[in-house]
Amino acid sequence: MTTIVISGKGGTGKTNIAALLVRILSENKLVLAIDADPDTNLADALGFPVTKTVGDIREGFLDEKDELAPELDKQSYFESRVMSIIEEADRFDIIAMGRPEGPGCYCYANNILRAVIEKLEGNYEMVVIDTEAGLEHLSRRTVRDIDLLLVVSDVSKRGLDTADRIRALANELNIRVKRIAVIANRVRNEHDREKLKNMAEKMNLELIGFIPFDEELAALDLDGLPLTQLKDDSPAFEAVKDLVERLDLN
Amino acid sequence: MAEEFPFEISPMYEGERVRKGDMYVELGGSTKDGFELVQVVDDPNEVEDGKVTLIGPDILDMEEGGFYPYGMIYKVAGEQLETDLEAVLERRHHEFQPYMQGYMHLNQRYDIWVRISKDMIKNGLKSFEQIAKATMMLYKNELPFIEKMEAIYITDEEKVKEELAKAMEIYKARDERARAMHDEDADVFYGCTLCQAFAPTSVCVVTPDRTSLCGAMTWFDCRAAAKVDPEGPNFPIEKGECLDELKGEYTGVNEKAVELSGGEYDRIMLYTFMEYPHTSCGCFEVIGFYMPEVQAIGWVDRNFPAATPNGLPFSSMAGQAGGGKQTLGFLGIGIQYFFSPKFLQGEGGWTTTAWLPKDLKDRILEAIPEDMRDKIATEEDATDVTQLMEFMKKVNHPMVAKWAAEEEEEVEEAAEAAAPEAAAMPQMPMMQPGMMPQMQLPAFAPSGGAAGGIKLVLKNANIKVEKIILKKKE
Repeated sequence: MTTIVISGKGGTGKTNIAALLVRILSENKLVLAIDADPDTNLADALGFPVTKTVGDIREGFLDEKDELAPELDKQSYFESRVMSIIEEADRFDIIAMGRPEGPGCYCYANNILRAVIEKLEGNYEMVVIDTEAGLEHLSRRTVRDIDLLLVVSDVSKRGLDTADRIRALANELNIRVKRIAVIANRVRNEHDREKLKNMAEKMNLELIGFIPFDEELAALDLDGLPLTQLKDDSPAFEAVKDLVERLDLN
Repeated sequence: MAEEFPFEISPMYEGERVRKGDMYVELGGSTKDGFELVQVVDDPNEVEDGKVTLIGPDILDMEEGGFYPYGMIYKVAGEQLETDLEAVLERRHHEFQPYMQGYMHLNQRYDIWVRISKDMIKNGLKSFEQIAKATMMLYKNELPFIEKMEAIYITDEEKVKEELAKAMEIYKARDERARAMHDEDADVFYGCTLCQAFAPTSVCVVTPDRTSLCGAMTWFDCRAAAKVDPEGPNFPIEKGECLDELKGEYTGVNEKAVELSGGEYDRIMLYTFMEYPHTSCGCFEVIGFYMPEVQAIGWVDRNFPAATPNGLPFSSMAGQAGGGKQTLGFLGIGIQYFFSPKFLQGEGGWTTTAWLPKDLKDRILEAIPEDMRDKIATEEDATDVTQLMEFMKKVNHPMVAKWAAEEEEEVEEAAEAAAPEAAAMPQMPMMQPGMMPQMQLPAFAPSGGAAGGIKLVLKNANIKVEKIILKKKE
């Protein structure tokens, strides 16, 4: 199983990149897409809106725990609830983590959740996780080893700064990450490329790809339509496909 | 293993998900009835070992992609088996069935959700009998004290409904038995270190009468977790010798306290507030606080945002007393502990409680003895200690007698069996024999307003009183 985490500054289009990755990877592999960013919606971008999230289940569990039968196996109960909210597409499944934690105690719920997610991930060849720059789910250890942490930046110094911070955070959290790399999104011209390349080099960031600005994608985005409708020969699609091939993910 | 099955059986298939596109049929789940039940049969002659009965269509009679009801009943017999073990045996069903490759089994009891993969059929699965036989083989291999076992599988809609209704009664009876279990009935308690990252010296002792402070772990949960993962955060604590039945002091708990707190604490009393109380983590649902002005305890939960009568909100007290410390005057608890018969047993139970937030009080009203319900103030009655004091006087809170005892001269009169007739007084809470070494009745003044009256102090009393009616002399 290969685990790819997509992160980056808000507004860089990372969810679109994640959606394209899932679409392309699932042509050859069975993929689990995890939407771990409460602000965005990977599931929508993939055309499979989810109605319930793991967060909802966790809250529900904490609310009703006192009423559950005393000898109930809570882990198996929790597991089946999580399984029931997975959306099943043809070649990939989607699960949304939902809202972050409230003020109560989550030690037990998260401990169960870790075991459940780990078990679930074992069923897939590829796991793609879309997460916010704060890496909350990584710090909660709901995700363990990561093969590739892909940070999406827009054409801005701030985008790269966030990449830098995410790299530092990942090191701090003591999660095993095999490779951290940056891709730049909505790149318009050669000037953008050169500038970003130089900045990344100075910051010692590995910049591995450029996704060009894509009119068709922008139009789908504007109408809130899923990226499954994006044509195979659109520039963004081709760039992500090229990236997948170069990284040998297929 | 004489039997040959057309599917692999191994723990490595546990957690295997059968996706919708790969499934041959779905059984139970959210659309159809389903249940599993293990029943211990006392007379071994009533169990035919290895027998499988199927009521309803067999697997190959089912339509591919269809959804069907599913009931699985197992009858077991063995010299060492007793009804109390049924729940433990049934739990293993969820462990064993997923060992079959291509067979997804989720949840338990009346909530089971099963999917059988197309691959299973392709590889030669022909009948539920094979599923039942493999399951029973696993049971008997792993639990050799099962001497005989037979299975009844049901896929007929009506019959599943009928048997499910019967099973519901059995689950209910089982739950009632489990809820009636007390610390005295358990050989071991359990420890939990799940939140030690936040509370390094916390010693969370989970007993049948005391859920974890976070409210998430019952004694049953810990027992199951300790069995599944012996190296994990839940482990048994041998009770050892009971040093104090009333306050809940056990040698085994004390020993574990030393170990878990890194030597910080060496005594923990499970049912007290003011003497070697349980440590408080950072995860507790409710914190109790002693208010010296009224010599009583208030409780506040995480959801109550305002200050309590002692001037502090939940968050400040949690910050002070949390982190795994044993702090006199503060105690973190799980909400279920309010319902425990051991609730502050060392201090006289509910009589010491004087304040609760309204929402919390409503939620746990059933736990409060009837005669104490009107005597516990909420934020609607008192928001500071002075108001609380007034309230307690008005409702004649049991602790008011204590204040009086300290102010007035001691006039002690030994209580005799006969109840004295005097001014009107509310009913006394019901006492259990042997639980109250010292009890003070509240001082009461005759309603005429004249000074005087009497005070009763019972020392080392061992009495059981259901009701005392005191009437003014005509």
